[in-house]
Amino acid sequence: MINIVKFIDRLTGWFGRAFAWLILLMAFGMGYEVLVRYVFNAPTSWAFDMSYILYGTMFMVGGAYTLARNAHVRGDFLYRLWKPRTQARVELVLYFLFFFPGVLALVISGTKYAERSWRYMEVSVFSPAGVPVFQFKTMLVVAGVLLFIQGIAQVLRCILCIRTGEWPPTVEDVEELEDQLLKKAAAGELDKAQQIAHGRDDT
Amino acid sequence: MTDPQIALMMLGIFILIIFLGFPIAFTLMALGVAFGYYAYFNPSRMWRSYDRAVEAGADNWELWHTWASGLFNNRIFDLFVNQTYSVMANEVLTAVPLFLFMGYIVERANIVDRLFSTIYIAARRLPGAMAVAALVTCALFATATGIVGAVVTLMGLLALPAMLKARYDTGFASGVICAGGTLGILIPPSIMLIVYAAASGVSIVQLYAAALLPGFLLAGLYLVYIIGRSLLQPSVAPKPRDDEVGDVPVARLILMVLTSFLPLAVLIMAVLGSILFGLATPTEAASAGALGGLALAAIYGALTWQRLREAVYLTMKTTAMVCWLFVGSWVFSSVFSYLGGEHLITEFVTGLDMSPLTFLIMAQLIIFLLGWPLEWSEIIIIFVPIFLPLLPLFGVDPLFFGILVALNLQTSFLTPPMAMSAYYLKGIAPPHVQLVEIFRGCMPYLAMVLLAMVVLYNVPGIVFWLPEMIYGS
Repeated sequence: MINIVKFIDRLTGWFGRAFAWLILLMAFGMGYEVLVRYVFNAPTSWAFDMSYILYGTMFMVGGAYTLARNAHVRGDFLYRLWKPRTQARVELVLYFLFFFPGVLALVISGTKYAERSWRYMEVSVFSPAGVPVFQFKTMLVVAGVLLFIQGIAQVLRCILCIRTGEWPPTVEDVEELEDQLLKKAAAGELDKAQQIAHGRDDT
Repeated sequence: MTDPQIALMMLGIFILIIFLGFPIAFTLMALGVAFGYYAYFNPSRMWRSYDRAVEAGADNWELWHTWASGLFNNRIFDLFVNQTYSVMANEVLTAVPLFLFMGYIVERANIVDRLFSTIYIAARRLPGAMAVAALVTCALFATATGIVGAVVTLMGLLALPAMLKARYDTGFASGVICAGGTLGILIPPSIMLIVYAAASGVSIVQLYAAALLPGFLLAGLYLVYIIGRSLLQPSVAPKPRDDEVGDVPVARLILMVLTSFLPLAVLIMAVLGSILFGLATPTEAASAGALGGLALAAIYGALTWQRLREAVYLTMKTTAMVCWLFVGSWVFSSVFSYLGGEHLITEFVTGLDMSPLTFLIMAQLIIFLLGWPLEWSEIIIIFVPIFLPLLPLFGVDPLFFGILVALNLQTSFLTPPMAMSAYYLKGIAPPHVQLVEIFRGCMPYLAMVLLAMVVLYNVPGIVFWLPEMIYGS
């Protein structure tokens, strides 16, 4: 069972990390637009469409990745006080009531929506450049399917936790800087945290 | 039950599930879809194609198929997709990942250390010099990164030990860092204001212009407090002995300012200026800021592959967190208002017969209390929109309201029991620093936030002057 969880985490993690790099494309693309507009006085016709397509694609695909890393906001002021087993029991029920119905609706209605768009190879109406948006609308389905798969992994996690009494470890690839520092401090390595803060950790 | 009552039930269930700690975005989505299915339920539409298939004498498989697709023939599904798509194609929110990326890069650029020591040396003759330097560093760094936790932990590791070593009062030293780090969500270009703009429909450019002076006002109040308290009560911030200060030649100081303070200040001003004067959209300015941040990190020799990866992936996580919250919130709130929930709230509030001032105080008090258990993202995306339709009733400008909320949410980082800033600081502070002392140090800043709100209410010109001057009224 733990292997299925690991496999799903890797799958959504791969999608999330791969699509995260779109941020660089976005930064350089918009930078290029500003450059050609002011320096060469020749604005592009595609920059605006590009900006929201990249942004939308990014966060939609990243939804499942973020769920796997437990980074979606939750009001956890009571939750964190419970024993792991209680957390898992409550969460298991809530996944079926408040996760799968919404995600399923996203997959089904997203499919209809994307299908319609593919039928006439829809392009953006914001510019004459004719930037295609049918692939962008497909992201609704991709995001829904990834979330659904990740939901299965989360349910299995809950079951594992109910059995063993503790949460199976999540794969941590990156952490917020404050969390890295807090962890170092908690592990009694205050000097290492201080080195990072001084920017002397990798010289 | 009438529809508005059902809407209230929907809100009640939602609050219950928040208490249970389930991811909020998905809770909102599921509740929106479920209650929306009920709200838009239309049997004749649902059975239309099925009845037609029966009349045409279709086979069982065909019948099952039309029956199943009939189940999904409900307008909520169109609404759901449309609301989701409008988050995906939202032209205001496109700036969010870029500003986040800029923040994550700048926070990894090995810049705080230099910044703090430069400002300290420049300010060393002032009373409470180290606290002044800590505040200015916090404010500048928080403005550039917008990530409160990172500012507080980094400064807690750099400035706090330095201040304690200089025999500063523990509470006094902690308060400066906690309050200074939190300024990043108020002073533009802050991400919180973009999120408020997307949630309220107020122009982001106007919001940035409006937030600038209040941001300076609050930072100025903090500064006056620090210097004033150091003068009146020198024991909290003892004057360093001459040999502790050391002598730094002016030329060297100028060089330090040129290499640490100036680049970051120029980056922030370029980003903000190009937005305010209409040279670039916030999204374009944010991408320029991100590129500038990359250049800065490269110059400081901090642009390693590992750090770039971290910044990219963290940007993804935080963007997904904020934007999925929007997806859930927009689905939920459109169903809520379709059921008449919004109307019910408006009627209820009108029935209370409040004066505009009472309404403002009530609204801000509720937001203040919500800040105890919740974070700013949830408050702005989910709860502030409940107040927005009420604003015209009391003649409150949503722009003005937004600035008050931004000020108010400073407190959510500083008030117990869930004061994020204080906990971050406690986490990295030397063991003898007590949480109680940190809270005690934060209290004066809460009073100053309140004072700033009162001042803004009485002199609204502080908010409106700059937007009116740049864009006309």
